[in-house]
Amino acid sequence: MFRKLVFILFVVISIKGFTQGIQDSVYMLPSATVSAEKVFQKEQAGMKETKLDTLILAQKINLSLSDLLSENTPVFIKNHGRGALSTASFRGTAPSHTKVVWNGMPLTNPMAGMVDFSLIPVYVIDEISLNHGTASIVDGSGGLGGSVNISNSVDWNDKFNLKYLQSVGSYNSFDEYLSVSAAWKKISLKTRLYHTYSKNDFTFINRGIGDINPETGEIVNPLDTNSSADYIKYGVLQEFYYRPNMKNLISAKYWGQFSDRTIPRATSYEGPDNSNLNSQQDIDHKLVLNWTYLKEKSKLSILGGYSGKDLLYTLMNNVSGVGYYPAIYSVSHNDTYSGDVKYQYQFNENYSFSAGSNYSYNSVSSVDTVVNGGYDVFRSEISSFINLSANPISKLNINFILRQNIVDTDFIPIIPYFGLDYRILEDHDLIFKANVARNYNVPSLHDLYWQPGGNPELLPEEGISYEAGLEYRKNLDKFSLASEITAYHSDINNWILWLPSFRGYWEPRNIDKVISQGFEINAKLDFRIKMFKFSIIGAYSYTSSKNYGDPLVWGDESYGKQLVYVPLHSGNLLARVMFRGFYFSFQHNSYSERFTTSTNNITQRDWLYPYFMNDVIFGWHTTFDKMNFSTEFKVYNLFNETYHSVLYRPMPGRNYVLSLMFEF
Amino acid sequence: MSCMKDDELWENTKPVIKTPYKGLYIVNEGNYMYGNASLSYYYIESEEVHNDVFFNTNSLPLGDVAQSMVIRNGLAYVVINNSGKIYILDANTFEYKGKITGLNSPRYIHFISDTKAYVTDLYGKSIAIVNPQAMEITGSIDVSTSDNQFYRHSTDQMVQFENLIFTNCWSYDNQILVIDSETDEVVDSIQVQEQPAALVLDNYGKIWTITDGGYTMNGTTSTPALIKIDAETREIERTIYFNNTDHPIELKLNGAGDRLYFLNSDVYTMDVITGSEPELFVESPYETVIGGYYGLALDPITDEVYVADAIDFVQQGVIYRYTSNAEPVDTFKVGIVPGEFCFKY
Repeated sequence: MFRKLVFILFVVISIKGFTQGIQDSVYMLPSATVSAEKVFQKEQAGMKETKLDTLILAQKINLSLSDLLSENTPVFIKNHGRGALSTASFRGTAPSHTKVVWNGMPLTNPMAGMVDFSLIPVYVIDEISLNHGTASIVDGSGGLGGSVNISNSVDWNDKFNLKYLQSVGSYNSFDEYLSVSAAWKKISLKTRLYHTYSKNDFTFINRGIGDINPETGEIVNPLDTNSSADYIKYGVLQEFYYRPNMKNLISAKYWGQFSDRTIPRATSYEGPDNSNLNSQQDIDHKLVLNWTYLKEKSKLSILGGYSGKDLLYTLMNNVSGVGYYPAIYSVSHNDTYSGDVKYQYQFNENYSFSAGSNYSYNSVSSVDTVVNGGYDVFRSEISSFINLSANPISKLNINFILRQNIVDTDFIPIIPYFGLDYRILEDHDLIFKANVARNYNVPSLHDLYWQPGGNPELLPEEGISYEAGLEYRKNLDKFSLASEITAYHSDINNWILWLPSFRGYWEPRNIDKVISQGFEINAKLDFRIKMFKFSIIGAYSYTSSKNYGDPLVWGDESYGKQLVYVPLHSGNLLARVMFRGFYFSFQHNSYSERFTTSTNNITQRDWLYPYFMNDVIFGWHTTFDKMNFSTEFKVYNLFNETYHSVLYRPMPGRNYVLSLMFEF
Repeated sequence: MSCMKDDELWENTKPVIKTPYKGLYIVNEGNYMYGNASLSYYYIESEEVHNDVFFNTNSLPLGDVAQSMVIRNGLAYVVINNSGKIYILDANTFEYKGKITGLNSPRYIHFISDTKAYVTDLYGKSIAIVNPQAMEITGSIDVSTSDNQFYRHSTDQMVQFENLIFTNCWSYDNQILVIDSETDEVVDSIQVQEQPAALVLDNYGKIWTITDGGYTMNGTTSTPALIKIDAETREIERTIYFNNTDHPIELKLNGAGDRLYFLNSDVYTMDVITGSEPELFVESPYETVIGGYYGLALDPITDEVYVADAIDFVQQGVIYRYTSNAEPVDTFKVGIVPGEFCFKY
């Protein structure tokens, strides 16, 4: 009976062309089956959203979100090493301009104002979408680059499911993942457990060390092991869903994770083995409770959440006669409580309205016990919005958002967004999109108060962006194409930049102006030739992100130069072929040289030459008496290249992972 | 098959070396964990500069955070802080000759004899005793204390008065330690203001230190000061206070040892004799307290003044050269974060 009702509801929705946005989250079938993406939605007029293919998610389940984004999206990942800190930036902006939302709750840490994407395993993600540029305003403020939405979804049809995955990889790397889920008529539960460990002890020719051969006098670079780089991460994600009736859905999700990493020393380090030992521990707890109430024309969603983090960073040295002694022992703790209310109302099929408000209360306590310095701060933030969307004529969608943020008692200027979609050809999904918006990003608490260096005088960053693009989709029986080209321009004033200073530590300051502009092209092509299914997904970005701050003095040649670690060109390609249960994927991603100086001056000593990375995956899966088995063999860095992603941080050569998975 | 160009980094063109080469080394600190420290060499007479001389000669990067440099018997000793080592090179040809490794977080080297030198350390709570000829660590002087309020003692610059070595404890500290170079023991300490950043010994047996006031942290700030200490009695004879917002960092002497120069956003100078006051020598173009002036050197023969400007600390720095009367002579670009100099005569 229930299923019939759902079915009828769906039919009604489809016939009426009723906005899918409202009904989606409750009754949506598992994401893999709903592959037809939304096009020409008035609620998303002018916005660029990228959804990652669920097959990609499945294939990259044992990676971290940083690897996933760098390989399959235009987002640039600055990766400090395998398993190490990875930050993400969209469109030449800073990592702090990439906001992350997990099941409707902001995940961006109020301390650093950014997210370490290496700490988010793909295991905890069912769906991921990217809102590029100002499209992030739907998720909140501050996403001058964009936002990443990760979420979990319920599958009411799967009565019982158990999945176990085991991977073994080079450098003593092991991954274990177990998920168990069960669904009844009104209740669904899912538990995931994961564990990742890598000794990460790859070898590399250490160009940072020179030994003189006593016989020839030649300088020899030793073959070194990437020691002190091991990492461990384990966690649990528990989901609970309850739908008492057709109109209500209540869910609770808890995600807890422990991560411990040793941070490698400078490769040129030749001090004592038991000194200069850096490590970082992150303990995270996140809980989100959600109630969604649906009526024929409206949807109300109420969310309450908690997010807590304990971060411990230590630098230990062996002091003779004392033993290990900390030189840095930095303990940070933060609690964020958030509440969110969102209401959507559909007047008719041409007009809809939504409004919402998010409140978050952040408390941060950060102290370095060695120097007895730190800060304790509370900050409350309110972010409210109203949104009007219209489809006044059949070819045109328009969307208007106003967002008001209040930080403590300060009103941040209003954030307006205006976007439109125009269907160029009747009956074809060829759509012109454009938007204009203003956005603000308030300094993070570390920016303001970090000891030493924090600058309480910092101003919020202000961005004005313009964007226009074309989207084209075509679906035929054996062929489907989705492509999009977008050009953007953003003026960002008061850009916050941390720079070293004569005081011996780094300090943030506002730079007058940064102009980031460029274009992105992405395309996805699926086709079938006899028994072979092909899939090609590619992206290219041209990113010019330049500093137009006032030159400090004569000789300051940073004016008009590309920001550090922002490649001008970047691109990636995933090609996949499937035949019966076998599949093969080729993954390529590349970017042009990155600068490490504000003047873009390149010397041979610190040239980060263009990066071209190639990986391949071979897989096979089969079903046997309702049980799925699959096995995968992955080869990373196929051509065994020596390269750096960040100056003088070694990266591994060709390496392998073998995964086995079974599911029933 | 290889697409990336790592190999191209290691095919270097050696710099052409000119004679006679009276010159000035500039130690470019680079950025912490960037591994982009470098050495520049400036021909004082022809006013030519060669950057990256160590890397270009040896196809070997200098390392992470080059702190200081000393030339002794034709060999240059470059202390590379976050690489835990001292690189030794031929001061005339830039050729790599060897290294002293196993140092914790080395800052400065001071020669007591050809076979004995002290190396101060930021985190080691000890001063390493090294034999520079054998390129070995031969011992250490424990400077740890029971006072654990901060990470004491981080030893830094050194000056020698008779057989005594004075070293300032800069990071989160307020002490100048006195070490007997014969017994290798700490024999005394002198308390000064927070964070003594530099140390010199003038021609009249007086030690001068400049304190930067410490980090702006709960309970650790103090008024920065220029302090004169009698090396013999170890009594503080004079304290000149700066403004609380100042952050003086460098202190150097002229060749005769009777005139001080220091950086406090701008360049100041002062006679060492009693009663004199600091006077502005060269004004920096920076409008705020945040400025790029980071290093200072005095030509021991001509008293010419070299000022290192690190600008934003993430681009090539600039060196300004002035006559002893503050008239500009030359301006040239060097490596990233020029901090220390070393003359080669």
